[in-house]
Amino acid sequence: MTRKPTIPDKYSEEWFYKELFEQVPFNIAIIDRNYDIINANSNFRQYFGPWKGRKCYSVYKGLNSPCVGCNARLAFQDGRPRVSDESGIDQHGREAHYVVHIAPIRKSESGPIEYIVEMSRDVIETKNWQMEYQILFERVPCYITVIDRNFKIVRANENFRNNFGDVLGHQCYEVYKRRNERCPDCPAAKTFKDGQVHYSQQSGIKKGGEKAHYMLTTSPLSRNVKDIAHVIEISTDITATKKLEEEMLEAERLVAVGQTVAGLAHSIKNILMGLEGGMYILTKGLDKENKQMLNHGRDMLERNLNKTTSLVRDFLDFAKGRLPVLKMTDPNFLANEIIDLYKEIARENNVNLEADIDPDIRKAPLDAEGIHTCLTNLVSNAIDACQMSDTEGGEVCIKVTENKDNLIFSVSDNGLGMDYDIKQKLFTTFFTTKGGKGTGLGLLTTKKIIKEHGGEIVVRSRKDQGSEFQMIFPRKHLLAIYEKNKNEAD
Amino acid sequence: MKEKRVLIVDDEADVVDYLTAILQSHDYVVATAGNADEGYRLAGEKSPDLVCLDIMMPRESGLSLYVRLRQDKRLAHIPVIIISGMEKEKEFDFRDYVYNKKIPLPDKYLEKPINVDEFIRSVEQLVRTDKNPRAIRDKD
Repeated sequence: MTRKPTIPDKYSEEWFYKELFEQVPFNIAIIDRNYDIINANSNFRQYFGPWKGRKCYSVYKGLNSPCVGCNARLAFQDGRPRVSDESGIDQHGREAHYVVHIAPIRKSESGPIEYIVEMSRDVIETKNWQMEYQILFERVPCYITVIDRNFKIVRANENFRNNFGDVLGHQCYEVYKRRNERCPDCPAAKTFKDGQVHYSQQSGIKKGGEKAHYMLTTSPLSRNVKDIAHVIEISTDITATKKLEEEMLEAERLVAVGQTVAGLAHSIKNILMGLEGGMYILTKGLDKENKQMLNHGRDMLERNLNKTTSLVRDFLDFAKGRLPVLKMTDPNFLANEIIDLYKEIARENNVNLEADIDPDIRKAPLDAEGIHTCLTNLVSNAIDACQMSDTEGGEVCIKVTENKDNLIFSVSDNGLGMDYDIKQKLFTTFFTTKGGKGTGLGLLTTKKIIKEHGGEIVVRSRKDQGSEFQMIFPRKHLLAIYEKNKNEAD
Repeated sequence: MKEKRVLIVDDEADVVDYLTAILQSHDYVVATAGNADEGYRLAGEKSPDLVCLDIMMPRESGLSLYVRLRQDKRLAHIPVIIISGMEKEKEFDFRDYVYNKKIPLPDKYLEKPINVDEFIRSVEQLVRTDKNPRAIRDKD
């Protein structure tokens, strides 16, 4: 049995229910079997207007006969409460949207149903929201699709349809990318799995066949992480930005080409000067039949031809567009190789070349040829720095260490060292402190190779005290590039 | 006739040898230096009639040596030919730098690789310039 509310003594029960009837935030009307409204509260009056002596269908909808499929009639028949969405007209003749709860009223628990109470509430605001949401969904300058667990598109906004075609019921990968199967690393799949929002940069093909670049966000369409039925994919088209970016890169590339050509010209001029000098001395030697001059001239020609070879080699190393080919390599092996290669040269220059190697260093995915080039550049620089310094007893040390999951190669010397100005220009094309001996490409090539490995180069140097160059390779970056290489090879 | 002396400062041994060969075949007495410090010292010791100077040298550059020569009262009068592989833009930077320091510009720029005739013509001209007291004396 329903518990009656406790009513304070000073109020009568009748007064209390009347108040409740009037104050409850619903439009309440009570109708009989003839659809006559026999009572209604003031909210109802305010919403639908005068009701006394009128049929419910007339008041709610301005009709002359009962509505088709009238819920009240059904409730009179089976005694079950009902809820329905209805549209009608309010007291000002405007369109009204409301939800109606219908419940039968009996005089006694087993007696016949004598009245129906209809409690309705305006939902026009919700309807407006729905409409606004719909406009927002359709018109927002993004591509929006909703996909189900089978990656089938169940909704798509106007912008998406205009660009990718009428695509409902198709698989998202088919529509976005014209693929036959799910994309690797699919962000929507991640969202289905973890219920989190995922961001990614993607490219696809529009209905006209043109390429589209877009930033994609995938979010769950449910708050319940365990049971996500749909994922919403919202993407912003960045094709235009991407194009600008490409144009800018191209412009930067042209500037770099200009600088490179100027630097190359400088190096070539020096070599030409040497070749012309060789020819001049050789000719003079021939004129004077002077063997010493002939030899001198020939040596100069030979030397400058060799310089041409090394310039071309360095330049090609620098200009090489190839990506590193990473293979599991023993870092210590690479360091020892350089020691073997340079031990003799170092000794000839009165420099002591040493290795400080941690024997426990694990193998790492490295491009052996690239790292070899880097170490060669750094070690030959270090030997030159010792040679150019006034201090006796040059020392160059190659160190291989591991720190916080970073693999570190370091090359240090106690040579000339660098001041601030030189350090600033270190990685500039064709910058050299070695005059005609350097091509100004070594460190630049080194930096390029390190960057291609996902690493960085750190330089510490003090004028007249020496320098240390560290190549730092985070193992996780090496592994990521290694995996990517492997996937591409497959 | 008094000997004519030229000092060549360049870190490139081949360039030094080339210029030396040209100058010697025109009867100049040549002193050579492979870096700026040595160049400065020889400019003081040998009192050359002309200095041929490279710009891009390790450690101290030719630019810095040029400034030192011009700021040294004993050496400021010596004509200087800059012989460099510098591109034009850098050459103008060089001129601006010198100009801003209120130092007279070099007497001649020659670009590598040089033209032998032009080089010798420039050397002859500068060695005999009125600025060079010894050149006037020689003319007499």
